Amino acid sequence: MIENSLFKIKENKKVIQEKDGLNKVILTTRSRIARNLGGYRFNTFNTNEEKKRILDTVKDSFLKSAGSKNYSFYNISRLSKLQRLFLLERHILSHEMLNRLCGKGLFIKFFSPDPDDYISILINEEDHLRIQSTRAGLNIAKTYEDIVKVEKMLEKNLSFSYEKEFGYLTSSPTNIGTALKVSVIAHLPALVLSGKIEDFIKRLIKIKLNIRGLFGEGSDVVGNLFQIANQVSTGKYEKDILDEMNAICYNIIEEEKKAARELKENMPLIVQDSISRAYGMLKYAKMFSFGESLELLSMIELGVETKMLDNIRFFDFYQLISLFGESNIIIGENFKAEPDIDEIDAIRAGIIRKRILKKPAYKE
Amino acid sequence: MICEFCKKNKVNVNIIKIVNGKTEKINICIDCLKSFTLLPADEFFNDLNNVLKKFLEVDIKISDKGEIDKILGTIDSSESKTCRFCLCDLNTIRSTGQAGCPQCYTEFRNSFIQIIKTIHGSCLHKGKIPLKTGSKEKIQKEINDLEHRLLEEVTVENFEEAAKLRDTIKKLRKKLTAGKKTN
Repeated sequence: MIENSLFKIKENKKVIQEKDGLNKVILTTRSRIARNLGGYRFNTFNTNEEKKRILDTVKDSFLKSAGSKNYSFYNISRLSKLQRLFLLERHILSHEMLNRLCGKGLFIKFFSPDPDDYISILINEEDHLRIQSTRAGLNIAKTYEDIVKVEKMLEKNLSFSYEKEFGYLTSSPTNIGTALKVSVIAHLPALVLSGKIEDFIKRLIKIKLNIRGLFGEGSDVVGNLFQIANQVSTGKYEKDILDEMNAICYNIIEEEKKAARELKENMPLIVQDSISRAYGMLKYAKMFSFGESLELLSMIELGVETKMLDNIRFFDFYQLISLFGESNIIIGENFKAEPDIDEIDAIRAGIIRKRILKKPAYKE
Repeated sequence: MICEFCKKNKVNVNIIKIVNGKTEKINICIDCLKSFTLLPADEFFNDLNNVLKKFLEVDIKISDKGEIDKILGTIDSSESKTCRFCLCDLNTIRSTGQAGCPQCYTEFRNSFIQIIKTIHGSCLHKGKIPLKTGSKEKIQKEINDLEHRLLEEVTVENFEEAAKLRDTIKKLRKKLTAGKKTN
C-alpha cells in the first residue's frame, strides 16, 4: 500500500463561518473542462497501449512545466482497491476512474488547509483529460480560474482536439464546445420536506440543468443532497455559463432558505418529529450505515438552521461525510484486516457523535 | 402536509423504508395506505416499490440517461458509412453514446449537428480557442467576441462604449483583410 499524505485524513479545524462562500446550502463547487489529445481515438474505443501512451505523454508534458512541482501523481492501477474506494468516497475519483484501470492517472494538488479544496487532472477518464477544481461553498469563479491556469500549463506542450465550429471535441457530445461543466452539491432539506422539491427540480431540468445524487450519474439522492450541473456546454461563452450557474445557485440558496423559514413558521409536527428523532438516534444509537448517517445529519442541519436544536456543535456537513465513508474509516482507523460491517457502522456512529454532540450522552 | 398519492388528504403515516442502509421516505394518508395493503404481503412489497418509485419519480428521472438515449435513437444509422480514421459507424456511436475519435465529428457531421443542437440548443462554439491557433483565426475570434459585447452594450444603451467597440472591430476587420491580401 502506498503510504502517502493523500490517505491521511485531515480536518480543517478552522471555524467554518470564516470560509469563503459558505452558505450551508451549496456545500461545494466543482468546475471541470474535458480535453482530448489530437491523433488518438477517444477512450471508449482506444486500446490499452494507446491509453498508456496518452498517460505518458500527458505526464511528461505536465511535469515539464514549472507549476507542476506541488502536484502528486498517482497511477490508478497501482493503488489498492481500498485506496481507490477511499478516493471515490472523497469524490476525488469518479466511478469511471475505477473501471478498466489501465492507463488511468491522477495529478492532484490540495489548497491547504481544507481537505476538500483541491485541483486535479484525471487522465483517461471518459476523456483523455479532465481538469477540475473543487472548493468548499459556492465558489464558481475561483474554481474556473484554477482550471484555466492548469490548462495553460498543459497547452504549452500538448495540442488538444479542436474544431472551429464544434469547439473542443469530446468523447461524448454532451460535453462538446467549451467542455465546461460546473457542478455544485446542494443540501435542500426544507425543499424536500415541504414537498416543493419536485416542482423545483422540474424547473431546474427545464432550464437545462442536470440533477443527480451525491455521487453523480446514476446515484440515488440521499441526505437531501443534490448534485446540480449545467447541461449546456456549447453555444455560450465560458463566462456566461459561469454567470448563469452562479445566478442559479443564489436562487437555489434563496429558495431553500425561504422554504426553511416557512417550515419554521408553520412547522408541521411531522418535521419536528423527524428532527427530534434524528437527534435522539444520533445521541443514543450505536450503529449507523452510510446512507442513514446522511439522512440523520441532514435533519440535524435543518434542526440547527430552524433553531429547533441548539445543543449541537458547529460542523461542516460535507467534510463530515468525507470522514465516515467505509474505506475512509478502514484507512483512518488503520485496520490491518478487513473489519466487520457492524464494526464500521459503530465507528461511524462514534465519529458523528464526537463531531456534533456538545455533551456526550454516555461514556464512549 | 398532503398525501403524495391522492394529493388530497392530510398525511397520516410517514413510512421510512430502509433497505441496505438506504432510507426512503413516503408520506401517505390512511386511505391510500389501505388501498395498497389490500394486496397480499408479497405483492404489497412489490407494489410498495412501485409506490416508492412513483413517489421518487424525481429521483428516478434524474438518475436515468433516458433523454440522451432518446436523442441518440433519432440518429439514422442505416447509413453504412464508417469513419475513415477509427472505423466507427453510426450504429456504434448510437449504442455507446460516444464518438470514436475527433474525426468522427467531421465524418458524421450532419448527425452530430442534430445531436448537439438537441442537447445544447446550439452547436456553434463561442468559447475559448486553443493557444496555438493561427493569427487569422484569433483575429476572427476577437471580432466575434467584440460583436457579442457590442450587442450587449447596445441593449443596455451604453452607446459610448458601443462606439468604441465598433471602431475596434473596424480596425480588426481591416487587419484581417490586409492579411488576406498579403497572402
